[in-house]
Amino acid sequence: MSITRRIFICNGALAIVGTAAVPSFLARAAMGAAQAASGTKRLVVIFQRGAADGLNIVVPHAEPQYYAMRPSINIPRRSVIDLDGFFGLHPSLAPFQPLWAQRHLAIVHAAGSPDPTRSHFDAQDYMEAGTPGLKATEDGWLNRCLHDLPGRPQRSPFQAIAMGPSIPRILSGPEPAIAMNNINDFTVGGRNAKSSPVASAFEAMYDHSSDAVLHGTGEETFDAVKMLKSADPGKYKPAPGVEYPKGRFGDSLRQLAQLIKANLGVQVAFADIGGWDHHVNEGAVDGQIANVLREFSQSIAAFWKDLGDLGEDTVVVTMSEFGRTARENGNRGTDHGHANVMFVLGGPVRGGRVYGRWSELDQSQLYEGRDLALTTDFRQVLGEAVLRHVGNRNLSEVFPGYENKPAKFLHYLG
Amino acid sequence: MRLGRTQLAALVLCFSLACPVSQVLAGKKEKAATPADDSKRALHALNRLTFGPRPGDVQQVMAMGVDRWIDLQLHPEMIDDSALDTRLQPFRTLRMSDREIAEEFPNPQEINEVKNGKKPMPTDPVQRAIYGVQLARIEEKKELEEATSKVAKGSAADGGNPDSWAMTNKAPGAGAAGEENSASSGSGTMNSGANENWADTMTDRGGESPGATAPRKLTPEEKEQARISEEKLYRDLDVQQLPSLPPDERYKKIMSMSPAAQYVFANQLRGGKGEEFLRGLNPAQKETLMAMNNPVQPVMSELTQAKLLRAIYSQRQLEEVMTDFWFNHFNVFIDKGLDRMMVTSYERDVIRPHALGRFDDLLVATAKSPAMLFYLDNFMSVGPHSPQALGLPLHPGPYSRPNPPKRANGLNENYGRELLELHTVSVNGGYSQRDVTETAKVFTGWTIDKPAEGGGFKFDPRMHEPGPKFVMDHKIRPKGEEEGLELLHRLATSPQTAHFISLKLAQRFVSDDPPSSLVDRMSKTFLKKKGDIGEVLGTMFHSPEFWDDSAYRAKLKTPLEFVVSAVRASGANIDDALPLTRQIANMGMPLYGSQPPTGYSMKAETWVSSAALLNRMNFAVALANGKIKGVSLDLVKLAGNASPSPDAAAALLSLESSLVPGGVSQQTHDSILSQLQAKKKASPNTVAGLLLGSPEFQRR
Repeated sequence: MSITRRIFICNGALAIVGTAAVPSFLARAAMGAAQAASGTKRLVVIFQRGAADGLNIVVPHAEPQYYAMRPSINIPRRSVIDLDGFFGLHPSLAPFQPLWAQRHLAIVHAAGSPDPTRSHFDAQDYMEAGTPGLKATEDGWLNRCLHDLPGRPQRSPFQAIAMGPSIPRILSGPEPAIAMNNINDFTVGGRNAKSSPVASAFEAMYDHSSDAVLHGTGEETFDAVKMLKSADPGKYKPAPGVEYPKGRFGDSLRQLAQLIKANLGVQVAFADIGGWDHHVNEGAVDGQIANVLREFSQSIAAFWKDLGDLGEDTVVVTMSEFGRTARENGNRGTDHGHANVMFVLGGPVRGGRVYGRWSELDQSQLYEGRDLALTTDFRQVLGEAVLRHVGNRNLSEVFPGYENKPAKFLHYLG
Repeated sequence: MRLGRTQLAALVLCFSLACPVSQVLAGKKEKAATPADDSKRALHALNRLTFGPRPGDVQQVMAMGVDRWIDLQLHPEMIDDSALDTRLQPFRTLRMSDREIAEEFPNPQEINEVKNGKKPMPTDPVQRAIYGVQLARIEEKKELEEATSKVAKGSAADGGNPDSWAMTNKAPGAGAAGEENSASSGSGTMNSGANENWADTMTDRGGESPGATAPRKLTPEEKEQARISEEKLYRDLDVQQLPSLPPDERYKKIMSMSPAAQYVFANQLRGGKGEEFLRGLNPAQKETLMAMNNPVQPVMSELTQAKLLRAIYSQRQLEEVMTDFWFNHFNVFIDKGLDRMMVTSYERDVIRPHALGRFDDLLVATAKSPAMLFYLDNFMSVGPHSPQALGLPLHPGPYSRPNPPKRANGLNENYGRELLELHTVSVNGGYSQRDVTETAKVFTGWTIDKPAEGGGFKFDPRMHEPGPKFVMDHKIRPKGEEEGLELLHRLATSPQTAHFISLKLAQRFVSDDPPSSLVDRMSKTFLKKKGDIGEVLGTMFHSPEFWDDSAYRAKLKTPLEFVVSAVRASGANIDDALPLTRQIANMGMPLYGSQPPTGYSMKAETWVSSAALLNRMNFAVALANGKIKGVSLDLVKLAGNASPSPDAAAALLSLESSLVPGGVSQQTHDSILSQLQAKKKASPNTVAGLLLGSPEFQRR
């Protein structure tokens, strides 16, 4: 953990403070703020925890094998939203259709982690650490991707945000990151307190504490609290016509959009959505998977619309620890499988295309005789975003032990 | 941890600031390196062997002598803990077996069996109420899914969809019939008419084939729904009035309500809410009402409350600390399916009895525990060449089970891997993927007898992989269950395991990066004393490294340690531990809630984040101001004054010495004092809140 004093970009915050006495932390930041402010490239990572069933999400509706293997849980051809004559979206992903048509949304199929594990926690751990098969990795790749970014002398305390109660594996590491359940609770001494004496006393204690660990974090914390208060992200209501669905995931993305719109310097962000582990009664056009996909797509589509022009500098990537068996099981569900589907959404994305090589569902092609075989390593997909979008050229540090040649990128970024 | 050295320097500095009176000590290295004075020794021992000192503890330990007190803590059987036992007495489920819990608190599988008509609806009124609400929930969920998907599709569901048919057919039946019946009878229990209605719905859903001709009259349905929602309104009003009734009357009223109204009531308790409905009820009544909301909630709720009460009130503090340590080492996640009803016995019968015993015994106990077998999936791991996988016929006999087609028919490496990596030799212990697979084969057949019914460990030879196995260059001959015992014993006595366990203990008790000299000596004791955990702890507690100044306040408290130590330091009384458990969960450490098998990290870096610090400060202020429900404290008494001192500085000093016996830094002292002087009045609550939220109190 680094304990250097950190300052940050906050031109938006300054503008809001207006005539009020400018706190020193803002004055400090003002100098370097102007040039670094706009054009911040953002990467938003969404994790579908529980192993989403990629074959029922982006459906290979031209594959007879798909229907043969899933007699009771397939998505009928007449129900899929056709994309290219071969693949189609699950009908619950209707909110994605316009994004696809506008070419903001791309799909990478048969992607994922090459590690053979079918354990949820191992596989999530590997994908978050960015080192499949290697548990000893201490930090997460999303944290590492902020390390030593060129042309970035000042960092916002909000540079890395996780929507949730604690820092997830993917964001843990030496780069400062903030976990937030609810932006309204990110304060001391009650909401709306302008200058709570309790908060001032705590700040004085921590700001000058000789306790290295607590001093560093305490200082960041109070900076962040004040910055958040000045920027007042609460006033950034969702754009007209934008409606986030109820639930934790919709709440996460709604608040994330507020933080981004408040110009707090968010560079990487993380949110997750559970409820994908459908061993029993998965459903098809309706049912469990349809419901969670609806929440998933409505939230993401709302987030995209809400961001407006800020979407131009934003890339959203989705991932899930592994896919599910090609065949349905005896309980009208699916068991843990291998390759899966990833969505990439954003301003610089060359969308409207399904990337990756499709390996058929023919028995001979299946991984271990049961799962969709993997043709694209998730690190190849992420590597392109990290290098081309976030601007970190040191891919061997972000994804150690993986040869990530730009020539082999899918080139989904324009 | 990466900043070991910087941090040490900072700590030394921090300590010197903490004792402004004895400036003499500050500059004298040679003096600081020797064992410090008695009160500091006592405080250090309390900080490490307990969940934090209570008022007066330092003096008591000094009076007894630090070494004698440590020895006593190593022998918990000699410590009277009857006051704690009295506090735990109301929690009935703590004393129940898995089987008893399964019988009384149905799990989803059992509810499904009733739903599908495989089991009859229970006759006991309490059980009927619990089942009734759960069945209604299942229906409601389906209904909701149906409704939303219809809206989303903008058209009616396919006529041929069996689910949608069951839904439309169901709505008028179950919801309305239930309440009408009880409204007329007033008897309160779900009568047989309602029961048949449930059963009908289920049969229809299961039957499927007649679905196509089922009535799909939309207009009558809409009418029906209007009627239902009107009745729902009255039910809701009824439920809202419940809290104003005296406890006994309230309970009786709830138990006599219609199933539909009970369902509305149960929803009020969702997410741990609705405390006003439970207020004043006796524990058994509380259990029943909680179970109506979530059948296993009383079990989980009593277990988490008991954990906090033990941490706060047990006199056998070291045993509690070690129980927490081993639970975390052999972590299971309480929210994984049937583990919800298995963790009570896991902690009580597997972990605690061995907390200061022999590692070998502890390892075998965890390996055979249903909680672990279920959590790491070993119960369904089947040898690829076992009789079961090959479909060999069962031996004929009067008691032979049928041979149903099993979903699980292969090896599951989950337990094998974690046994090596997390429980024994650790990730660098010199094993390969092949060793993991072979280990998994050794444990095939270690399963659970009827998991949903709370059955215990069973070795099933039909699931066991035949033939010899080779684990880490050691050949294990085929001998069924004995193979696992042989491997466990080898692992438990391996030098790698001795080192790994010693390292983890030293990380918990000494520092995040403990000196290797200490870990090596502890490992030697571990091997020499055949894994006697008490002996290993003894070596550590009597080591110079444990008492070195660099270890003083070197550990950052975890959320559990922080919350419990704050409650202990403030001498607060707990009437209800549930609100406290929620605070700990908010700080990212839900009790029994670590999903991965690694358990929670004991290192500082995990627990220092902005949100975490804010949570701690806010908790400290809330606790000191009496804003945490179920917790009451008397700060005036704590400060040792009959009335709040008019002198801010004096009041502050007095609270400092009672809440933070090791003292706070000059910086912390001055920060609080300047706030006090600015406000011109010494509110002991504010001062206490600031002290408990101070940097010094985050360490132990």
